[in-house]
Amino acid sequence: MPSSHLVGVAVTRYGKHPGLGPLELMEQAAIAALDDAGLERDEIDGLITGYATTLPHYMMGTVVCERLGLKPRHAHEVRTGGATGAMAIVLATHLIKAGAARKVLVVAGENRLTGQSRDDAVKTLATVGHPVHEVPLGASIPAYYALLAARYLHETGAREEELAALAVLMRRHAAAHPDAQLRQPITVQDVMTSKPVASPLKLLDCCPISDGAAAIIVSAEPGAKAAIQVIGTGEAHTHQHVSEMPDDLGLGAKIASGRALEAAGRRPADMQLLGIYDSFTPTLAIFLEALGFSGRGQAGRDAAAGAFNLTGPLPLNPHGGLLSFGHPGVAGFMAHVVEVVRQMRGEAGPTQARPASSAFLHADGGVLSSHVSLVLERVT
Amino acid sequence: MTVPLMRCEACAAVWQFARALCPDCGGRKVESFLADGAGTVFSATHVRRSPAPEWEVEGGYGIALVTLDAGARVMVRGPIDLAIDERVTVGEDERGLVATRGDPT
Repeated sequence: MPSSHLVGVAVTRYGKHPGLGPLELMEQAAIAALDDAGLERDEIDGLITGYATTLPHYMMGTVVCERLGLKPRHAHEVRTGGATGAMAIVLATHLIKAGAARKVLVVAGENRLTGQSRDDAVKTLATVGHPVHEVPLGASIPAYYALLAARYLHETGAREEELAALAVLMRRHAAAHPDAQLRQPITVQDVMTSKPVASPLKLLDCCPISDGAAAIIVSAEPGAKAAIQVIGTGEAHTHQHVSEMPDDLGLGAKIASGRALEAAGRRPADMQLLGIYDSFTPTLAIFLEALGFSGRGQAGRDAAAGAFNLTGPLPLNPHGGLLSFGHPGVAGFMAHVVEVVRQMRGEAGPTQARPASSAFLHADGGVLSSHVSLVLERVT
Repeated sequence: MTVPLMRCEACAAVWQFARALCPDCGGRKVESFLADGAGTVFSATHVRRSPAPEWEVEGGYGIALVTLDAGARVMVRGPIDLAIDERVTVGEDERGLVATRGDPT
């Protein structure tokens, strides 16, 4: 059965791209990913894209194919919130295993920051909640995650300052990356005194809204560069709405990662590099602990102690994550994947850590609703 | 104070959202009922900024998840300073469920 390799990766600068729409941004990323892979456009025989809140077309797969001039054997659009990019990679591996495609382009992007008002963006995103029982109460995305954060702090005894350490770490990483949106270093004190959004979350516990796009080519054959193989994938879908969330906040991450690691035949201790979804500081803490990379309530303390530094034992989101590199929707987590592949190739430039031969990636969509885990390995 | 919920005749599971199958056992005999509003705060937040201008409240507002004694967990509006594990009473107004402090009187 054919294996799947990540052979071409690209991400635009994240931040403001005034005047560019989703298709222009995706086009830039797709061309750069083809160049990175050394592939010609017509070698692509599969396309998977995501949604764009600023271009709510219901046939994005063929819209993107038409724009790029692709005539693939398979094309469609995926929607699993923040996990969409990771899910697209999972689906690409399934297509390749099934023999339905050999080279699948995964591409997503949008002008989420400059293509709409901030109020419209916040309102659109809030509709991930229940239309009858949650949204009319005035709940927002930060409010849903604030409920998780408050519960996490209550259950673990961790302190808000410890969550803040995760935001400080992401900013320190982003400061070295020329394409990151937020590069000004911050302190725990800055996070603690930033504007309250929904207690216990302050502004600097929350990722920004961004413009940007990313593209990843998944191929049955290794490419010209170091071969980065997808050796395990796993999903979990435990609920949609926070009202029906399981009591165990980490349950979805535990199920998805268990499946991915079992498929890969690896343990958390085998991983040398992490790319973990970090929409809010508590998201990152809950995942690091559920995935087995930190003890219960210890994620922030581990970050403050240097465990996830570029020079530490387990570098985490070396590009700065959603919290500082930026979050343009579906492309948000794809930037984690792009960075992890560059790190594993030894091509990460100013954010390069010791080149890892194995990496673990995890994303969620909704409110810890849809989960995807990926295990990558550099093979020879 | 009561809260509209659903329950399964077969396994007695209780939940809030409308559906034709029991989420636990898959049973098809499900019914609506009015549950007592007594419950315990599972989590709570003080929201400073509303996602829609028409819901903006000076000084913000409280949103909480409450585990009702009847068995379901529900989202409610409430005081801005509710604490986890605090006892509350949930009832309904024109915008949905709302919690007040303390057990039903």
